[in-house]
Amino acid sequence: MTTLQKDPEGFEKKTIHKFVDFTNARVLEIGCGEGRLTWKYAAASSLTVGFDPDHSALRIARADMPHDLHKEVHFADASANHIPFSKETFDIAILAWSL
Amino acid sequence: MVHALNEIHRTLKPNGILIDLRPVEENWSVEVVSTSSTQRVSSAGWQVSGRLIDQPIGVADDEAAFKAMREVESNGWFIREKEEEFAFFYYWDTPSEMKEFMEEEWEDFEKLDDDVFRRTNSLWASANADARVRVRVKMLITKWQKNGR
Repeated sequence: MTTLQKDPEGFEKKTIHKFVDFTNARVLEIGCGEGRLTWKYAAASSLTVGFDPDHSALRIARADMPHDLHKEVHFADASANHIPFSKETFDIAILAWSL
Repeated sequence: MVHALNEIHRTLKPNGILIDLRPVEENWSVEVVSTSSTQRVSSAGWQVSGRLIDQPIGVADDEAAFKAMREVESNGWFIREKEEEFAFFYYWDTPSEMKEFMEEEWEDFEKLDDDVFRRTNSLWASANADARVRVRVKMLITKWQKNGR
């Protein structure tokens, strides 16, 4: 079993919150993967939609979803090349390790 | 890539924010870290054992990403508001676990040279029992504001 730990210092979380206020925002995350970054801001948002083309990563993201976020957070197998939402839906878009 | 940014622009509200968060290849350093210092691990708690070698695919990906963002900036879709670099660390208990991960996950992006692996192993083996290894990934975060409708 691997002992990999990613960003235990929380530098990523601190930096992203310094850059943008997620309070009551509608957020689109492109490249959400297993939701590692999603869980660091989603509780503050009013809606979070995570896209990723990787089915197995999305399965993990859905399985790991905290119970109190079931209404606010949704994951979809999609890419940024075709975003199935009407114009001017989101306050914030995040390209998460995906550009 | 530019088409995807156009889609993001379309779905953002006026003055909406785009956060671009990504690693940037720059021969990331491999470090041995320990909570207690020894003769070989400095009092700062960590010691660089070497650097990874950027791979052509990763370098090309970075160039393509920078090019796409320059393009959307020059055509006025987004205005760059703020940019910052920060470190994102990957930690493993042992050099072997680090090596295994890199061979499986980072094959296209970063290479761990045999000499760097040997040096890391040697430094780690002679450090205190709590020693771990880590890679310092250079991260770039940019805040863009949507311009126009």
